[in-house]
Amino acid sequence: MLLEAQELNYYYQDGEQLRYILKDTSVAFEKGKFYAVLGQSGSGKTTLLSLLSALDSPHSGKVLFNEQDIKKIGYEKYRRNNVGIIFQSYNLIPELTAMENVLVPMSITENEIPDDQKTVVYNLLDYIGIAKDKADRYVNKLSGGEQQRVAIARALATNVELILADEPTGNLDEDMEQEIVDIFKRLAHEHEKCVVVVTHSKEIAMQADQAFHLKKGVLSTYE
Amino acid sequence: MNFIKRGFLGITRKKGKSLILLAVIFILGNLISGAVSIQQSTDNVESTIKEKLGSSATVELDYEAIDELSEAELMDLEIQDVDIDLIKQIGGLSYVKYYDYSMPTYLGSENIESYQDEEMGEEVITHGPSMDFMLKGINYAPVLDFKEEKGKLVDGRVFTEEEIDEGDSVTIISKKLAEKNNLHVGDTFTLDSAVYDFDENGEEDLIGSRDVVLEIIGIFEPSSIKEDQDENPENGMMDMMDSEYQNTMYVPNEVVIAEENYQMEQLMQADEAFAAMLEEEEVTFENYTPIFVLNNPEDSEAFEEEVAPLLPELYTVVSATDQYDSISGPIDSMSKLAKYVLIASVIATVLITGLVVLLFLRDRKHELGIYLSLGEKRARVVGQILIEVMVIAFIGLTISLFSGKILAEQVSDTMMKADDHEPSFEDMMFVGEMQTNMTTDDVIDSYEVNLNASYIIGFYVISLLTILISTAIPLVYIVRLNPKKILM
Ligand SMILES: Nc1ncnc2c1ncn2[C@@H]1O[C@H](COP(=O)(O)OP(=O)(O)OP(=O)(O)O)[C@@H](O)[C@H]1O
Ligand SMILES: [Mg+2]
Repeated sequence: MLLEAQELNYYYQDGEQLRYILKDTSVAFEKGKFYAVLGQSGSGKTTLLSLLSALDSPHSGKVLFNEQDIKKIGYEKYRRNNVGIIFQSYNLIPELTAMENVLVPMSITENEIPDDQKTVVYNLLDYIGIAKDKADRYVNKLSGGEQQRVAIARALATNVELILADEPTGNLDEDMEQEIVDIFKRLAHEHEKCVVVVTHSKEIAMQADQAFHLKKGVLSTYE
Repeated sequence: MNFIKRGFLGITRKKGKSLILLAVIFILGNLISGAVSIQQSTDNVESTIKEKLGSSATVELDYEAIDELSEAELMDLEIQDVDIDLIKQIGGLSYVKYYDYSMPTYLGSENIESYQDEEMGEEVITHGPSMDFMLKGINYAPVLDFKEEKGKLVDGRVFTEEEIDEGDSVTIISKKLAEKNNLHVGDTFTLDSAVYDFDENGEEDLIGSRDVVLEIIGIFEPSSIKEDQDENPENGMMDMMDSEYQNTMYVPNEVVIAEENYQMEQLMQADEAFAAMLEEEEVTFENYTPIFVLNNPEDSEAFEEEVAPLLPELYTVVSATDQYDSISGPIDSMSKLAKYVLIASVIATVLITGLVVLLFLRDRKHELGIYLSLGEKRARVVGQILIEVMVIAFIGLTISLFSGKILAEQVSDTMMKADDHEPSFEDMMFVGEMQTNMTTDDVIDSYEVNLNASYIIGFYVISLLTILISTAIPLVYIVRLNPKKILM
């Protein structure tokens, strides 16, 4: 297994009592597959993803990457070398061009990066659907769909096997959503990536190789 | 796209922000730069003036301490002499470049005429027998006054060790005196060692006299102190000092002692009660004034500290540089003001720059959160911000380095004018051997704001450190950033 969550517990202190968002949640993901985690608003999808991406730590339980506790790897190190994160609100740096945004993680990661970084980035953006003329634009001059593609390219730039996405199509229309989902499918099936998408969209869940349902802190297989 | 490149892009891609920060740092930098340059200039004045005052020191009775003694204590007071052994001991200290001890006596002459400044001429009224010439006994053969550039040898030679030891009757006289009496090196002239007794009416009574024949081995000229001051009507004092020096004759100490002894013997012969008293107290007439020239004016304090315990009771060390304090008034107040401005501007800079940087960081927390989510080390995010701030700070400070200097010139000009006053008598100091004509005006004149290396370095060190501290505070904000909260 590439990524495994073991008995994760996460709660908020609500006055006297603890309100559990995740309760003894265990789940496993492997390479070459496209996963969806479905849940209503407020069900804890973002919380789960933040734990899997080491942007937060559980109150108990652990996350294993390649059988290794990510705490041992080190959260920062895990983020820069092992995982690509995609956010609902893109989170690109507006003062940089699309190309420069994708270059940023390449200088942060310790993974091997080809010398000819710019060519790699242009090719990557092209593959994701951003032509060269748009690649040199500041990202705030791109459409939402285009921005999310840049964000996907950024997640892929460090050559990671694991892509975690939080509502990646939440701000996009249906056509654009489908194009993004197609990219995810290609990444999983053609490039052996493990893609985990957290969403409230049943359409996406239907297209996943495997889908889970998050409800009241419990994760179950979604049929 | 590493953090260094990001730092520079952060400057160029956010011009508005960069310009605001630049303006803030420039304004504050002017204050720091002005204060530092005034401070440096006042420091320079101190060392320049101390340099000019020279590095000589002497040992003399501490009149202030004696003044404080009670009547009874004064009665029992037995003042010890500073003897030659002690002078030699002090002269052996590492601070001392060279030293001398001398004893003066005044003699008159019928053979030669004393030098009188034309302008003063008749005004000088002398009482009693003429004692126009000062014989300045010395022990240091090369003549300390020449070494210290109080005077310079223009003809002939200085003494030999032998002449000093033997007490040969040789002398070095001033050029003006020589010209007036048509004397040259190798000539001899005669002084009268006359001994007078004074009766109750104050009438003098010649009781003995002998000739002192001196051979001229050298001729000196005082280093000009008065030429550039001739316009000043108030320099009668200067002329008097000048005339006295023109009529000074350097001789070996032994020559002076021989005359002192002769005079005492004559007095003792004439007055038996006096002789009996002297015999009882075993008084010696060897009362030397030592003068020590230090290697460095800055050694004065250390020298004073080391010498003080060696001295007999009621003696004290007086250094030429002691005078600085009495003439440094306007510079002192400016130095103080500069210090306060510096402290205030450093504090203001820390607070204001800190606040501005913090506001900018809050504006950019999204961007910083992204770096953190990508696994960037917090230290590098901090590094990026430091580069952005410090590069802008360096530019702003460099501009203010120059404008601050202009500011400092304006401010100090105004302040000096406000503090200006005519040189007064009290400003001139006469400390035994160490006469000087330094006045407050000299202090003001040697004040100059200029861009020297120590100012530039001092300014950059202080101001960049200040900016660094002010940036360090908001950086805590980065360290505490939680990317999940910002991005998700
Ligand atoms: N700081 C907090 N304190 C208390 N409760 C919180 C806090 N942050 C989130 N929650 C609660 O935790 C629950 C899970 O939040 P989470 O963001 O994981 O939901 P989500 O499934 O991603 O929702 P959405 O689909 O709207 O993004 C929500 O009910 C939310 O109100
Ligand atoms: Mg969410």
